[in-house]
Amino acid sequence: MPGRAAERIRKAIALVNSVADDAGDEDITPTEIAEAIRDCLEMSEVDQVANVRKYLGEALDAVSDGMPADFVAMTLYAALGALREGGSLV
Amino acid sequence: MKSAEGRGRTLDEAVDAALIELKESRRNVDIKVISEGSEETIVEVTVIDQAAGSAEAAAPANGKAEIARGLVEGLLKHMGVRAQVTVRPGTEPITLDISGRDLGALIGWRGETLRALQSVTNVMVGRHLEEGERIIVDVERYRQRREHTVREIAMRAARQVKMTGDAITLDAMQPFERRAIHLALEGDPDVTSGSIGEEPERRVVVGPRKPAAE
Repeated sequence: MPGRAAERIRKAIALVNSVADDAGDEDITPTEIAEAIRDCLEMSEVDQVANVRKYLGEALDAVSDGMPADFVAMTLYAALGALREGGSLV
Repeated sequence: MKSAEGRGRTLDEAVDAALIELKESRRNVDIKVISEGSEETIVEVTVIDQAAGSAEAAAPANGKAEIARGLVEGLLKHMGVRAQVTVRPGTEPITLDISGRDLGALIGWRGETLRALQSVTNVMVGRHLEEGERIIVDVERYRQRREHTVREIAMRAARQVKMTGDAITLDAMQPFERRAIHLALEGDPDVTSGSIGEEPERRVVVGPRKPAAE
């Protein structure tokens, strides 16, 4: 379904941003963020546009490596941007 | 900074009274509720220093802030965006204001592009920052205006909760907006705020504060 990959990437971004911005009303673990990114990787849409899978993989590696939330967010934004440029409905 | 006290039967009336005295519009002020009762509401309204952005250039530069400002300015130049980047004075964390014409594209859908820009900025400046220190990026005071708006929403919700005794669930908001609401209501003895749901559909619930168990 078009746009669902973007929706899932946005969900992963929202989780990462909530860690970075710290609203103080939830506790997000790296495992939850990793799960959200894996959900994105499971979608066939990510293979239809160049670089989307690559960026999502980098974001997942960044979470595993304990990189700062902003770095993970930036990589996810890159995936979202690639999806948008690739013409998938976002 | 100019400020004035406003009194009125409702929050809106009190704010309007102070705005008339200050000759300012709502978007240029910060509102603090001093007391809110059934008879009278008192607020303190402070003008956000609009001239600070231009005056700031002459102010002594904070090293980290200046590095961040220079990097964002360079980034925008590469993007072909003509805009001015200034450091908002006296703010903690460091806040960069981007101003110019037609910067809607820099804000994006629900502030998404602005948020991405902030992430990139923090990654670029990261090695100059202490652990946990962050740079906030704002375009045409979008973020600040949103914070003001959600604070007003929070105050309205709090009044309604006090009148009806029922909890209110607000629209889904971003973390910085939810944080602004929690901060706005934390000092209110009659209401409490919490959040429900999962990102990006997480919502603030404003409800009556239960008396502490004895």
